[in-house]
Amino acid sequence: MTRLAALWRKEAIALARDRHGLAALFVMPVIFILVMTMALHDAFMPGASIDVTYAVADLDGSPQSRALVDRLARAGSFRASPGSTGDADARAGIRGGRHALALVIPAGFGERLLVPGGIDGQPTEPLTLLVDPTLNPALQLAFRNQTAAALGALRADVLTKRAGKMFGLPMAPTAGERDWPDEIVAVAVQNERSIRPPSSVQQNVPAWLVFAMFFVVIPISSIFVIERQQGTLQRLAAMGTPFRLILAGKMLPFFVVNQVQALAMVAVGIYGVPLLGGEALQMPQGIALLHWWLVSAAVSIAAVGFALLVASLSQTTQQASVIGGVGNVLMAAIGGIMVPKFLMPKTMQTLAGFSPMAWALDAFHTVMLRHGDLAAILPDILRLLAFAAATLVAAAWINRREAG
Amino acid sequence: MLAIDDVSFRYSGAPDAALAAVNLTIPADGVYGLLGPNGAGKTTLISLLSGLLTATGGTLRIDGQPLAAFRREHPQAIALVPQEHAFYPMLTVAENLAFFAGVLGLAGHARAAAIEAAVAFARLEQVAGKRAEQLSGGLRRRLNLAIGLLGAPRLLLLDEPTVGVDPQSRSFLLESIARLPAAGTTVIYTSHYMEEVEAICQRIAILARGQVLAEGTLAELLRDGEAAAEFELDRPPPAAIAAMLEAMPGCDLKFRLRTGSTATLAALLEQLAGASCTVRQLAFGRQNLEQLFMRLTRRSLRD
Repeated sequence: MTRLAALWRKEAIALARDRHGLAALFVMPVIFILVMTMALHDAFMPGASIDVTYAVADLDGSPQSRALVDRLARAGSFRASPGSTGDADARAGIRGGRHALALVIPAGFGERLLVPGGIDGQPTEPLTLLVDPTLNPALQLAFRNQTAAALGALRADVLTKRAGKMFGLPMAPTAGERDWPDEIVAVAVQNERSIRPPSSVQQNVPAWLVFAMFFVVIPISSIFVIERQQGTLQRLAAMGTPFRLILAGKMLPFFVVNQVQALAMVAVGIYGVPLLGGEALQMPQGIALLHWWLVSAAVSIAAVGFALLVASLSQTTQQASVIGGVGNVLMAAIGGIMVPKFLMPKTMQTLAGFSPMAWALDAFHTVMLRHGDLAAILPDILRLLAFAAATLVAAAWINRREAG
Repeated sequence: MLAIDDVSFRYSGAPDAALAAVNLTIPADGVYGLLGPNGAGKTTLISLLSGLLTATGGTLRIDGQPLAAFRREHPQAIALVPQEHAFYPMLTVAENLAFFAGVLGLAGHARAAAIEAAVAFARLEQVAGKRAEQLSGGLRRRLNLAIGLLGAPRLLLLDEPTVGVDPQSRSFLLESIARLPAAGTTVIYTSHYMEEVEAICQRIAILARGQVLAEGTLAELLRDGEAAAEFELDRPPPAAIAAMLEAMPGCDLKFRLRTGSTATLAALLEQLAGASCTVRQLAFGRQNLEQLFMRLTRRSLRD
């Protein structure tokens, strides 16, 4: 135990003095979490408001035109800007960048609301939608559909009121406009289970935590390469220190470092992201929290194993930085860390299945979003542990071969 | 103390053996010098003794006990001080010593006493709190040596311990190493510096191409060498004189006469003077260790 304690203490001191390693482990993921969570905030929110502004030029000023304006505002998907005085003002607003869309309600709109298509011989002036040509066509279509829906609901409402009067049906004196049951709840379907898709913070905190955990490759390999280049490993072997003890001496300190990273990144998700206006990270409670930690522990063991393999393959710290850094970025790119897996096409999702980072992120999401139990996360945990065992065996084999 | 019998070793894939049937007997409580050009097998022999490699043939015994069994029984009894600065540059001197003492299994008072003794031996008191990466070359060598002494080893393997240090530090290291046998530590010392080996080693082995070319005390080795006169002339000597001389490689006007007799030398000088040959340089006497080493290993030079 004295020998293992000495090895642990040495790694701890060396890491504490490795400023670049500490930056890679703690500063980089915090920045990623904050930046990516805020940058992708709306991309993860189905039905959330769209950051596109519209104006209405109400040339009619009737109760019906005001009702239409109210209905559009209540839908809340697009942001309403103060109304325009007329067609020219609405156009100037688009050219000046004050809004991207403008709806011009013609005079006589209220009177001819239930007389579409000029069936009485008089032409009906249409609603005019003015658009910024640089606006995404999908958003143009979305606003047009929303306006059409609001117009349809308004017609139905007016028609219902008139029909009630016509047939002498009792009407509530205070009855205003009705909200027709036209709201649709979006439910994302992923694989065979229906779940809510992750929010930005739920995607980004575990994703960048996994990425950061694998970055122990930088400090581990920098110390390991020094040990090999300077003959320290030989000296330790000559002192009768088995290589497995040297590996164990590196496992625990970096396991602890990984768990500190987990605490720090969760704290950033819970307290830091809301400070920037984002949604706070929701952590599982009770036994699920233990499951979350089991995933974190398995990721750590896999990350340290990978780091030791990279360190064993590298002759210089530069090589280790390149192999470890590129390896991590590749695993992250195909593993759904940088681009969420559910946004990937099918073939890329299949490819993601080969990345240990994808197993890790899936396991975190299973606990955090699907409320999965131990059985649900066990396959991913076992994959991570198998990966760790394979990398550690390979590292030991490489070092034994070089020693011989 | 240490008996090396018919020991051979070949690195996997290497065409030649790094050590071929090496036999050496290294007595206790002395400094034993291993000399040889690069690739002679010195580091391989050190690696076998420190347990980093396993001999492919022959036996290594300490006090009659097989080396591997001896190492298992006395894990701190053999210590290696590698050529490289084999410690942690980001740790202080004290932290390095504490780490290696811990790896040796030393704890509590035993660890504190071992660190104190090593610091005192290498005179590292003033730099104990300094990071190793900030030390001068000489201090790094002293730290390297101090780490090797933490376990109070019976056999200390020093692989070129004075490379890259200033003359003062070298002198200090040599004096320190020469004192070790008195404290019960046998030293095996490899070096390229002949004057170091002559100064502190009681016995010497010269290796080349994995074989022992010569072995014995310094006096024994040099006694085997024949006395000679070596000189350089200003012009080729007449054929009658040239017939008595041995041409030396590298220069047409350098010659050797194998003789320990001053009378023979005087007669030769008289004949040369008679032939109007001027002697530009003259060396007379027995060979020193460097001359012996160069003569024995000339064919083995690889670098």
